[in-house]
Parts: sequence; structure tokens; C-alpha cells
Amino acid sequence: MARVSLKNIVGKKNEVNAAVVALMSQLNEATWIEDENGKLLLGNSTKTPNSSFPINLDNEIIGWVKGDENAMMIADLITHLAQKEAEKKKLGTEVLNLYQELNVIYNFSEKLTQTIDPDVIAQLTLEQAIHSIPSHSGVIVLWSEEKKQLTIPAKSGEQLFNEDLLRNNPGVLLKIGLSGQSEIITDLSLLKEKGIIEQDVQSLIYAAMKVKHRIMGAIILAGKDVEQYSAAHLKLLVTLALQSSTAIESAMLYEKNIREVREREEAILRIHEVTKKFVPNEFIRSLGKETLTDVKLGDQVEKIVTVLFTDIRDFTTLSEKMTPEENFHFVSSFNARLGPVIRSNNGFINQYLGDSIMAIFPDDPIDALNAAINMQKAIHELNEERKQAKLPPIKAGIGMHTGSLIMGITGDEHRMDAATISDTVNTAARIESLTKYYRSPLLLSEHTLQYLNGQNKFHFRHLGNVRLKGKNNLLAIIECINGFDDIQFERKLQTLSLFNDAMSSYHDQQFENALQIFQTIHSQDPDDLTTIYFLDKTKKYLREGTPKNWTGAEEMVSK
Amino acid sequence: MENKILIVDDEAHIRMLIEQTLEELEDEGVEFLTAENGEIALEIIQKENPKLVFLDVMMPKMNGMEVCRRVKKELELKDVFIVLLTAKGQELDRQRGQEVGADVYMTKPFDPEIILSKAKEVLGIE
Repeated sequence: MARVSLKNIVGKKNEVNAAVVALMSQLNEATWIEDENGKLLLGNSTKTPNSSFPINLDNEIIGWVKGDENAMMIADLITHLAQKEAEKKKLGTEVLNLYQELNVIYNFSEKLTQTIDPDVIAQLTLEQAIHSIPSHSGVIVLWSEEKKQLTIPAKSGEQLFNEDLLRNNPGVLLKIGLSGQSEIITDLSLLKEKGIIEQDVQSLIYAAMKVKHRIMGAIILAGKDVEQYSAAHLKLLVTLALQSSTAIESAMLYEKNIREVREREEAILRIHEVTKKFVPNEFIRSLGKETLTDVKLGDQVEKIVTVLFTDIRDFTTLSEKMTPEENFHFVSSFNARLGPVIRSNNGFINQYLGDSIMAIFPDDPIDALNAAINMQKAIHELNEERKQAKLPPIKAGIGMHTGSLIMGITGDEHRMDAATISDTVNTAARIESLTKYYRSPLLLSEHTLQYLNGQNKFHFRHLGNVRLKGKNNLLAIIECINGFDDIQFERKLQTLSLFNDAMSSYHDQQFENALQIFQTIHSQDPDDLTTIYFLDKTKKYLREGTPKNWTGAEEMVSK
Repeated sequence: MENKILIVDDEAHIRMLIEQTLEELEDEGVEFLTAENGEIALEIIQKENPKLVFLDVMMPKMNGMEVCRRVKKELELKDVFIVLLTAKGQELDRQRGQEVGADVYMTKPFDPEIILSKAKEVLGIE
């Protein structure tokens, strides 16, 4: 309670005091006012007053009015003035306290606006709390949704909290701050028993940090004095906690946004990198987009294309005999021969994947087929040179498939995946693998044949259906023989109708008949490996019979 | 010049707050005077000759800037220490404060401690 000094009351130059002085001078006897120590404040004293009247304020004598019995009137008046002054001071003190609090909050908000780092905000809040509510120690605990645990972004003062136990005892904390309450805890036995706070803590105060109704955590302050905290402290702490919660929430949202934007950018870059391997920029440009990143979420671009894969046979065995440098030169010279062939046939190379090449032909499949045949011819030429150098010939398989290549961005805003809907690419790659199986250098799917204009310019052998691994539909596989060297091509052309007869007998399970024709072809064209393949199969079925429900389709269990 | 402080603000609670903030100076014999507008303030300054004036800028009748200008420039009472008070967010540029001759310039809400220490400094009270 603010102290009221009698000196200040009677010393003021105001109308009331002027009236008091006038009144005193009207009295017969000398009347004067003394403070509690007998010091004269007003009037003229005589040594021995007849009467002394105390001025009481809240049971405390703050001075005297001395004189005759009439001085009592003056004493009553001064007492009344003192009471008024005391009330005014009390009110003034309260207003000042509120104002100081307001000032604290005002300055605190201003500080909060200067940072966007949640940890800095937490530390700022704690420092402010300990400054405004004198404490020996303080911590802020926050529940991290990401980590699913309590974190301690800020601590200050003495080591009165055991941080590890604090973090690992959400149950106990639930009883306090995290329950969303704010209070002064008087019974500290549980917290001391659990070792969360030191034994010499005597007072604890906390306020929940929350946004709307979601509890984020709490500010906890500890003191070593008994009854260190008041209700006014609690109110202030709650205010600071609320302000800080909003700021931390905003800062975290901001951080999250920044992180997501960065992640999205990285994802796009990564998608760009990955997709570049499968979808060349030429392709994206052919769809009217500058780069892959121009392709927006939900955008989808689609085009019927022919995808061609080529792969060097037994490259591993071949490369084992070479130094890395020779290897590199070999692959580069191989690619250097094939690249121009692809480009001159309106195709573009998507990627050199070591010893294999993937190329895309956006127009007619005839481009892909011409390219494949010319590539085979280039390999023949290369093999002539190798023969001179006494090197073993190179064998390569070429497979192609025609279908839609859909490329787009799927997923939501936060997670974007480049869906190079690469079924066409996969199928083309699998068909290339089938060249090893059928021991044929050039295979295409029925779809390529279907989209092909000018079929009559080429010669094909139908090798039957396959069911690729993981697929439901059967796919007819066709061999194009135009790429063989002149001698081989002539032989295959001459046996073509025989081959077709043999295949139809084979599918009709007329294996005796098929065997006979395949043997005829084999005798005329002993280098025809595909015929050898079917010859072996036919012999096997003759020997072992066919499985139940056999249709002639080959089931591919590996890729 | 006596140890007098004049508090000028049209808002009663601000006058009360400043007075309460400076309360302890009363024991040092400092006398407080208050005024609720610029005209009254000007009268009191001429009559009572206070050492220190806390002067709100935004007031009816005569604003604080004008009071300050008249005191410092017209009446040439250069020894009157004038603290201009203005609301945050309505800060006047310091240059204008200097033009009218203000000694110090503070914003509201003010920090009570700063007000008190400034008053002690001006009045030469430890």
C-alpha cells in the first residue's frame, strides 16, 4: 500500500489546504499540525497544547493536530483528506501496475514481430517472463507434432529442471501445462518425487501455450522462495504465453511453408533429373513445353510414339576382356555409329545407358524400323572392321514398341511425382530382352506393326504371343528380317512361307508337322537361330507333351 | 526556479499515471502541476515556471507542438525542459520536434522507469 505522507497532504497548494489554514487562523487558541515524529508541518506551535488529536490512517498515526478541543475538528478534516489521498494513491498504484504490464506486453509484441524463428521467440518469451515475474529458473516445453515428443526450445536461469525427465514425462506434464490450464502449483511433491524439479524449488507457476483450443505446450517458471508468485503474476504469464503461442505458431507455419516450397523445388529438380533419362527434352518440346518444369500439376501430355531399345549382346563378357579405357572407347564408337542413324530417321536418343540406347520416334513407326535396319547394317560394317582386327563380332538386339507416352505430374501440391507413364517404354525394353530369348536381332510388337504405314516394304516373321511379366494381355511378337546381312536375308526370305507354315502347325499343336518344316528350314538356313529355338521347343513338346491349356503363348516370368 | 513538474495531457488517466510514476519525487519536495490542454499549460508555465514539462502532442485547443514552440521560441523560456509525448504509430519526425525546440521526445505507452529517470536527471535528484 502506498505510503501517505501528511507533509505532502498539507503541503499542497490547493483550495482545501487554503481553507484549512484559514480555518486554523479563525480558532481562538493556537492550533498546529505535526507529523508522527513531532515535526511542525502547519500552523504555529505553543509548547503545551491543551489537547492533541491523532490523525489515523489504517490504524496508524501519521501525525497530530494540537491546540484546544477545537483542534479535533481540524483533525477530522485532515483525517478525511488523508483517507482520500490514500484511496487516490491506491488507485494510482493499480493503474500504474496495469500500465506497466501493458507496457511489457506492448514491448514484447514488438520484439516478437522482429523474428520468425520459433526457437528465438521461445527464448525471448522466457527471458521476458523471468524479467517480469522474478524467478530462479524457467523452461518452455512444446509438443512437437513432427517428432511426437516434447521439446524444450528455451530454458533460462538455474538448473532447477531435469530436462530429460521433463521431456520424457508427458504424463506428469499433462497434469500441469499441457492440460491447457494455468496455475500456481502449491503441491510440488509429485514433481520432486519424479525428479523433474530440484528439491529446493518452493514455488512453481505455469501457463499453457495454446492457439485456439490446441495446446502447444507451456511456460513453466520456478522459484526457490515460498509463495514467490501472485495472481497478478499468473495473469501476466498467461498473457505472455498466449502472445508467444500465436507468434510461435505463425513462425512454425512460415518455416513449414518455406520447407515445403524448398522440398517441392527439390522434388521438381529430382523429377527433372530422373525423367530426363526417360523423357528427353526434345520430346517435351514436341509437346509444346519448354522444360519439364513447365509441366504443371495435373498437366498431362500424351503422344503415340515408337520407343526403340538396343543392347549389345554379352557386353559383360566382351567388356571383361577390355581395359576401362578400351571399354569407354568401344561404347563411344558404337554409339557414335548408331546415333546419326537414329537422328537421320526422325528419332532422338533419349539416353545412352551404358551399352544400351533408348530412342524415341514421335512420328510413324516406319522411322524406327528404318533406323533399326540401318543400325543393324552399321553393326555389320563395324564387324567387318573388327574381323580385320581379329576381334570377335558384336551382336546387338533391337526391340521396339509403339504406344502412348504419357508424361505428367501427379499427386498433390506437397508431393509431386513425374509419372512418365512408361508402360510403352517398359514394354519396348522387354521386347528388346526377348531378342535374347528368341535369338533374333530385331523384334517389334504387334502395335508397332499396327501403326506402321508401308508394311509391304518389309518382311516379317510372326513368332507368336507372349505374356510379359506382370501383364494380363498377350502381345504378339514379330521379327523383321530386313536387317540381316544380304546372304542371311535371302535365305530367310526364301524360307519365309515355310516358316509361317511351321508356326501355324506349331500353334495347332501339329508338332510332327512343325518339326518336319522347321528341320527343312534349318537345313536350308543353318544360321537361323530363331528356327533352332522353335525346333528345340517342338522337340520338347513332342517328347513331354504340352501343359494343360497350352495356347502357344510364351509366359515371361522374368523381365 | 522551483522543483515543479507540469504534466500536460487531455487524458486524465495519463496525467494520473505520470504523477503516480513520479510519486517518490514528492518526498524530495517536488510539486506536481497538471493541465488538460495546451492553453492552460501555457498559462501555468508562465505563472509557475516549472523545471520540467511532460507535454502530450495531440491535444484539443492548442497542441503540444504549438505550446512547445511558444514556450521555447516566443517566450524564450529555454530553461524549461520539455518532454514531448506522442502515441506510438503517430510518431512525428524528430526534426519537427527539434524545430519547435523540444528537449526530449518519447512515445506512449511509455516505460515508467524511463520517465522517472529522465525526471530525476532533469531535476538533479539522485
